[in-house]
Amino acid sequence: MGVESSNAWQALNAHCEQGAGSVHLKTLFSEEDRAQRFSIELDDLFLDFSKNRVSEETIQLLMKLARQQSLPEWIKRLICGDEVNDTEGRPAMHSAIRSEGRDVSGYALEVQPQIEQQFDKMATIVEQIRSGSWRGYSGKPITDVVNIGVGGSDLGPLMVTHALQTISSPVNLHFISSIDGTQTSNLLKSLNQETTLFVLASKSFTTIDTLSNAETAKDWLKEKIKDSKTLLSQHFLGVSTKPDMMSEWGIPEENQLLFWDWIGGRYSMWSAIGLPIALKVGMSGFREMLQGAHIMDNHFATAELEQNMPVLMGMIDVWNINFLNIQAKAILPYDARLKYLPSYFEQLVMESNGKSVNRNGESVNYKTCPILWGEVGPNAQHAFYQLLHQGTQAVMCDFIAPVERDDFDRNSHSEKDESLRYQHELAMANCFAQSRVLMLGDAAIPDSIKSQFDSPFKHYPGNQPSNTILLKTISPKTLGMLVALYEHKTFVESVIWEINPFDQWGVELGKLIAKETHAAIKTPSLAESFDASTANLIRRIAK
Amino acid sequence: MRVSVFGCELGGLVTAGALAQTGNQVFALPIGTGRVEHLRKAELPREEPGLEHLIQTQVKEGGLHFEEDWKKGVAHGEVLFLSMPSWRLDRAEEVIQVIGDCAEGDVLVVNQSSFPVGTADRFEAQIKLAFAKRGLVAKVAVVAMPEFISEGSAINDFVKPDRIVLGSQDPQAIKQIRDLMRPFNRVTDQLKVMSTRAAEYTKYAVNALLATRISLINELANNAEHFDIDMEEVRQGLGSDHRIGFNYLYPGCGFGGPSFAADVKSLVNTLQSKGYDADLLKTVLSNNEVQKEVLFRKAWRFFNTELKGKKIAVWGLSFKPNTSTVENAPSLKTIQAFVAQGATVKAYDPKAMTDFQKHWQGDDRVELVADMYDALDGADALVILTEWKMFWSPDYDLMRQRMKRPVIFDGRNIYEPDVIMEQGFRYFGVGRGEVV
Repeated sequence: MGVESSNAWQALNAHCEQGAGSVHLKTLFSEEDRAQRFSIELDDLFLDFSKNRVSEETIQLLMKLARQQSLPEWIKRLICGDEVNDTEGRPAMHSAIRSEGRDVSGYALEVQPQIEQQFDKMATIVEQIRSGSWRGYSGKPITDVVNIGVGGSDLGPLMVTHALQTISSPVNLHFISSIDGTQTSNLLKSLNQETTLFVLASKSFTTIDTLSNAETAKDWLKEKIKDSKTLLSQHFLGVSTKPDMMSEWGIPEENQLLFWDWIGGRYSMWSAIGLPIALKVGMSGFREMLQGAHIMDNHFATAELEQNMPVLMGMIDVWNINFLNIQAKAILPYDARLKYLPSYFEQLVMESNGKSVNRNGESVNYKTCPILWGEVGPNAQHAFYQLLHQGTQAVMCDFIAPVERDDFDRNSHSEKDESLRYQHELAMANCFAQSRVLMLGDAAIPDSIKSQFDSPFKHYPGNQPSNTILLKTISPKTLGMLVALYEHKTFVESVIWEINPFDQWGVELGKLIAKETHAAIKTPSLAESFDASTANLIRRIAK
Repeated sequence: MRVSVFGCELGGLVTAGALAQTGNQVFALPIGTGRVEHLRKAELPREEPGLEHLIQTQVKEGGLHFEEDWKKGVAHGEVLFLSMPSWRLDRAEEVIQVIGDCAEGDVLVVNQSSFPVGTADRFEAQIKLAFAKRGLVAKVAVVAMPEFISEGSAINDFVKPDRIVLGSQDPQAIKQIRDLMRPFNRVTDQLKVMSTRAAEYTKYAVNALLATRISLINELANNAEHFDIDMEEVRQGLGSDHRIGFNYLYPGCGFGGPSFAADVKSLVNTLQSKGYDADLLKTVLSNNEVQKEVLFRKAWRFFNTELKGKKIAVWGLSFKPNTSTVENAPSLKTIQAFVAQGATVKAYDPKAMTDFQKHWQGDDRVELVADMYDALDGADALVILTEWKMFWSPDYDLMRQRMKRPVIFDGRNIYEPDVIMEQGFRYFGVGRGEVV
C-alpha cells in the first residue's frame, strides 16, 4: 500500500476537495496576520510562504502526513549518517562534512577526522595558490585556475563563485564542463601555460566529459612544457573519491584532494570539490559557507516540524504537486549574481527526486518531482513570465532576493551609488510586484485604472502560489544557508514520496550507450544494427 | 636668507644642509617620526654618503637648526620648503594650514615633494583664503621645484644639478628662488622656469621615462636569452647610438626604492582614477614586479622546481648600491619566493640589513650574516641582487670552497661570463651567461 492510500494522504485529499483546493489566494489573504503567521526567519534568511494556497488546517494536515511518514526519524537518520541511500548502500553525509564536528553523532561523528585532514590539505593548497607561491613550470605564480568537471563537480563551484563575484580574488577562475571541447579550446586561447593551473574534479574519475577535456588541457600544456613530471606537479590538481585513479592519470599524491562515496555528486560543493570557492574567497570564506549550511542543518534537525523551514517548504510543495496538481516550479532570483542558482537547483532537485519507483522498487501512483527551471527574475519577466501570468499551466514560483547590496558603499551618496541604490530598489519592486500579481491576478489592478483592463486579453487569473526568500546579503554564509535549505526540503519530499533521493540510476544508461555510439561514429558499419534515425544521424557526421 | 625646510627625510636634509652651507639661516622641521634631538646629533633616518658630516658641520657652525614647532618655522622663514615623501600629503596639508593661520606677512612656499599635479596651485589658493579670512593683506606664492636627487649621490645631485626645474609665474618669487639657488647654478644657467603644473608633471614624466626604459631593456634582455645572444654586446650597440645613450641601459632584476617606483605608481593611480590612459606605464610597473623575481625563476628551473631544503646565499639587499634602503627592492620579493618554496636563505648586505629586518615579514628561514663569505656556507647557489662594489672581484677560490655547488644567479651582470665560468662556476645573468 503506497502513501496515497494512507490516512493522512486521504485526509489531505478530502481537505482539498472540500474547498481548500479551489479557494483563491486573494480570499486567503482576508485572514488577519497571515503574512506574520506564514513566514519564518532564521538568522540571515527570511521565508515568506504566505502566498501559498494553504490554510492553518492545510499545514496541520501536512504535518500529520509528515509524521505518518516518519519524517522526524528520517531527519535523524540523515543527520547521523545512517544508510539512507539504500540502493547504493551508503549514507548521505553532506551535513556531516559541514558540521566542523559540532552537533553530530554516529557515523557522521566518526568521519570528522578524515574530513578535517582533507580540509587542512585543501587550506594549504589554497593558501599557496592565493599567495602566489604555487608556481608554474617557468617559475611564475599561477594567475588562472581552470576547474574541469561536470554536474556536481561543476555547478556548485560555478554557482557560488559567480554569486560571490563582488569579492575580489587573487586568481581568475574558469570553468570547463561540456564534453564537446569548444569551451576548452576557446578558453585556452586567452590563457598562458606558464600561469595556468587545472583542477580535475570528478567523483569517479571516469567521467568521460572531464577526462576528455583534461587530455586537451594536457596537450595544450605539452606545447610549452617538456618535462612531464613538472607539467603534472605544477599544473594539475585532482579532486576525487578515487586516489588510485588520480595517481594512474598522473596526478601526484600531494596534489590530490579526496572526498568520499558518502558525499553525493550534487551535494559535493561542501567537500574539496568546493576548491574553486575557497580559491575565490579564501578558506575562511569557504568555512563561512559551511557554517551557514550548518545553521540550516541544525535548524532542520532540531526545530519543530511546524517551525521548520525546509519541512514547511517541502510539505507545501507536496501539497502543490500532489493535491493541487501543479507540476512545474520556477526558481526566480532577483539578482544577476545568482544567475546559476536555477541550474544548480535543477540538478539538486530533479536528479534527486525525478524518480517513479519507491524504495521497495515499486512504481508509485502519484506525481513526484515537478519540472523545475528558472532564470534571473528581471530577465525572465521579459521571457517566460507571460506563461506564468496567462498560460494554461499552474506554476509554483520561488522568488529569491538580497535585502542589501554589498557592492557599493551604503554611506556614499555619489551619483553612481545613488543610481545603484535606485536599481536595487527597482529590482526589489519588480520582485514583490510579480509575486503579488501572480497571487491576486485582476484583484491587484487599482480601481482607478480597472477600465483599461476590460478585455479578455488583459485578464489575469492569479492564484499562482509562490515563496519569497530574502537573504540579508549575498554572502558565503547566506548561500550556505540557502543551498542547505533546498537540499533538505528536497529530502523532505523524498520521504513523503518514499523514494531514494540520493541515487541517479537514470543517467547511467545514456553514458553506456554513448560509448557504443562513439564506436559507430569511428566505424559506421557498426551503426547498421541501430534504429534508422540514429544510423542516419551517424552517417551525417561520420568521416 | 632665512629658510625653513619642512620634512627631514633625505630630500629635506640635503636641502637644509646645502642651503645652510651656502650661508642661509636654516630651520629644519620634521613632519614624521623623526625626533629633533636625534637629528641635532646627526642621527639620521637613513645612510647617505656625506650627509652625516654635512649636517654635523652645519649644526655646529650654527647655520642649521632643528626645530619641532612648525609655527616657529613659519615665523622664521622668508622661504618655506616642503620636502616630504609623496605619501605624506596629509602632513603637507597641515603645514599649509599652519602657514595660513600663523604667517604674519608675505609667504613664499617651495614644494619639492612629489605631490599630484595641481597641488601647488591648490596650496596657494588655500593660504590666500586663510589670509583673506584673517584680513591679512600679503603676497602669497607657492611654487614647484621638484627634487631630482638620487640616493647614494644626493648631495652632489643637489649642489651640482643637471638642471633646476622651477614652476612659477610670479616674477618676484622666481627672482627670489634664482637668488637662493645661485650658488648651485653657476657654470651655465640651469634654471628651467615653467608653469607650476608643468614642473610638477616633469618630475613624474622623468621617472616614467626612466622606468619605461629600464623595463624595456629588461624585456629585451630576457628575450635575448632565447636567441643565445649576450645582451652586453647589444647594450654596447644600443648605447653608442647618440639618440639612445648609455644611461639607464643596464638590464637587471628590476628597479625599486622609496620614490622612483612609488612616483610612477602614484602617476598611474592618478591617471586611472580620473579615467585617463596609463596602459603603457601600468605594464611597465607590472613587468618590473615580474622582473624582480627573474632570478628566482632561473633557480626554479635550474633546480627543476625542487627548491625545498636548498640553501640560497644572497648578496645585496638594498634596492641599489650606496644606500641602506630596501623599500620596493627586488630582495624582498626574491627572498620571499625562495622561502615560500621551503628554501633557506643566508643574506649579506654592507648597509641594508637593518632596514631589511624592518621590512621583512616572512619567517625565520632568513639569516643575515656579517660577512659576505659567511652567506656562502653550504649554499646550493648564490643570488646577487645589488651591485655593491665589494661584490665585483671576490675571492673565487674561497667562494668555491664554501659553497656546496658553484652556481651564481647574477641580477646585476657584474661578472664576465667567460671568466667566471672558467673559474668553475655555473653562471646565469640577465641576458647573459647560461640559459635555463
